Amino acid sequence: MREFATAAMVLWASFAWADTPDVTASVTHHVLPGYDLLVQNTQALAATAEQECSASSPDLIQAYHRAFDSWISVSHLRFGPSESEDRAFALAFWPDPRGSTPKALSALIGAQDPAVRVPDAFRTVSVAARGFYALDFLLFDAQFTTDATAYTCALIQAVTTDIAANALAIRDGWLNGYADLMLMPGNDTYRTANEAAKQLFTALVTGLEFTSSMRLGRPLGTFERPRPKRAEARRSGRSLRHVILSLAATRDLALRLSSSDPDIAQAFDTAIMRAERLDDPIFASVSTPQGRLQVEILQQNVDMLRQRLTEQVGPSLGIEAGFNSLDGD
Amino acid sequence: MKKLTIATSVLALGCGTAAIAGGHAEKVAVLETYANIAEANYADSLSAAQNLQAAVNALVASPSAEALEAAKAAWLAARVPYQQSEVFRFGNAIVDDWEGKVNAWPLDEGLIDYVDASYGGPTDENEAAVLNVVANASFTLSGEAVDASTITPALLENTLQEADGVEANVATGYHAVEFLLWGQDLNGHGAGAGNRPWTDYAAGAACTGGNCDRRGEYLKAATDLLVSDLEWIVAQWAEDGEARTTVLADADAGIAAILTGMGSLSYGETAGERMRLGVMLNDPEEEHSCFADNTHNDHFYNGVGIQSVYNGSYTRIDGSVVDGASLSDLVAATDADLDAEMQMKLAAAVLALGKIKTAAEAGFSYDMMLERGNAAGEALIMGGVNGLVDQTRSIERVVAALGTSIEVEGSDSLDNPNAVFE
Repeated sequence: MREFATAAMVLWASFAWADTPDVTASVTHHVLPGYDLLVQNTQALAATAEQECSASSPDLIQAYHRAFDSWISVSHLRFGPSESEDRAFALAFWPDPRGSTPKALSALIGAQDPAVRVPDAFRTVSVAARGFYALDFLLFDAQFTTDATAYTCALIQAVTTDIAANALAIRDGWLNGYADLMLMPGNDTYRTANEAAKQLFTALVTGLEFTSSMRLGRPLGTFERPRPKRAEARRSGRSLRHVILSLAATRDLALRLSSSDPDIAQAFDTAIMRAERLDDPIFASVSTPQGRLQVEILQQNVDMLRQRLTEQVGPSLGIEAGFNSLDGD
Repeated sequence: MKKLTIATSVLALGCGTAAIAGGHAEKVAVLETYANIAEANYADSLSAAQNLQAAVNALVASPSAEALEAAKAAWLAARVPYQQSEVFRFGNAIVDDWEGKVNAWPLDEGLIDYVDASYGGPTDENEAAVLNVVANASFTLSGEAVDASTITPALLENTLQEADGVEANVATGYHAVEFLLWGQDLNGHGAGAGNRPWTDYAAGAACTGGNCDRRGEYLKAATDLLVSDLEWIVAQWAEDGEARTTVLADADAGIAAILTGMGSLSYGETAGERMRLGVMLNDPEEEHSCFADNTHNDHFYNGVGIQSVYNGSYTRIDGSVVDGASLSDLVAATDADLDAEMQMKLAAAVLALGKIKTAAEAGFSYDMMLERGNAAGEALIMGGVNGLVDQTRSIERVVAALGTSIEVEGSDSLDNPNAVFE
């Protein structure tokens, strides 16, 4: 029995080696350009906020949307430099089931906390008061936009400066070593090319799970108790947009990992088309049976995609997803 | 290309079913040890909870400062075996489905009893956040009138737990009992746990906090329910219990269940949800046992439980040892270096979690470590997080080396795919 097993293991191993997907293309054409764009757009956001810190400034709002778009397009890459020093959490603390973001922002404003004046001090502030989701409140929630003071202005500038610094640190982490770990496996992080491919595959599948269970699942709630107020970044009207952007980004990665499998491309296109046809930017319609059905169908499309990837594409490439941060409750 | 994919898919399937390392008998022996440890660990949790029940009954029958302290000590002791058992949760659906009744967290404690004004009122997320069942014999929940004139285990379990579909409405289990014994920890990042006076259970004019009789009734109901829930899970791991028979029914799936439990508890749950989030939010309420300030032990015993399962050796609360054929043996037979790596990582994580425990017990409590700008505290907690994350990588390597396949916890929607929408 043991001998037979060993023979089969060797077979398995050689097969996995032969078919390991192209990690190089994913890193150089998917990961790095995504972070380049994030750096560019977050620096523009910080520079705009230096000039215009009012929530009513069209330039600031436009810069916010552009920078947030480029974050969502890399938001599935939750490993390596994005996880060092909690950078991704500091850029994007959501979901927020206990309302920590408005609480943490109110606490800073109430105390006129001087941390907003020094970037190093602001880096120690709760992640709930930092990043794009804090801006969703600061720029779009009446609690913060009405009677905004000089302190609110300084807070918005501190948040945008911090966002730009984190984006830069992630990109530099990739350029200064992390990309090489993936491209030249045989190190302690990635012992084989298969381990590097597995990391990318885990990020892909986890990104889709996040879209299904958080971006769509949270506002859906249950049939008896829909939760439209839980929609992601609803204050700035971005909830559906995040689903579309994230599907487009994960489509790109999926095709690179699957040698452009046409069935996978087709399944992504179906989901994206359905999302684009939804006339419901913040999933407000989940409270009505008809509106709810449309969002549920979209969620099913995303789930089917994920299932196809984990059950068919992963095994055929000799990789399967590893543990992810959504395991657990 | 397409043709190649189809051909290799079949090959992969063949490998997936036939190539899992180790013989069937060896795997069954490993699974028997695993089930024996689970049974012993839950039996220990039950007997410790029965001690808690006796202490709670004594407190309610004749309230005193000593009786409250005795109940608190019994609660702390009860957590030692239970936290080790959490390694059985992910991977065993029967445990995961049941677990929320006994260890749900975090909770909006205002559902249960009085809270400080700083706690706030109902929120967007939870309309019942300050329901205060102890003070209200009747109230409306999700639009329906509820008669709570008598507080029973059934009321807690069927009506209040996850009321209004909100997970933070935790009415049962260890953390509900913890809140009723300690009360809110109002010390923020300062030293000290919750400081509920024993007179919250006193009779007549001595009663503080109002409704002392109903508070006692709630505490008894929650503790009784905890004991009966633990009795149920012990039975599931006994000779013909469902949990044991499920694990033993399919040796490969059983081995996968062990690894899924180890990896999910290490990574997503303890390192992520429970530890790292608290550091990032600097929020003392993100402590797993925020009322009793027992969080350092919660995390430490999670780590010990993961290690016990891999090594196939569990030390019971009476000092006796349950051991046998282990996952470690199985891995060593395939790849001795990997087994050594796995053992080393598990030991390193327990040591890192032990450093948090040591500091906390010497007076540097977990909520102090969470304070913004407290670099030493952050380093201690992140040491534990990194140890758990690091061991997860090795667990993934074990999964690959054994040729097994893990079933990662998915969303309900994926577990019940609805073909209608395809």
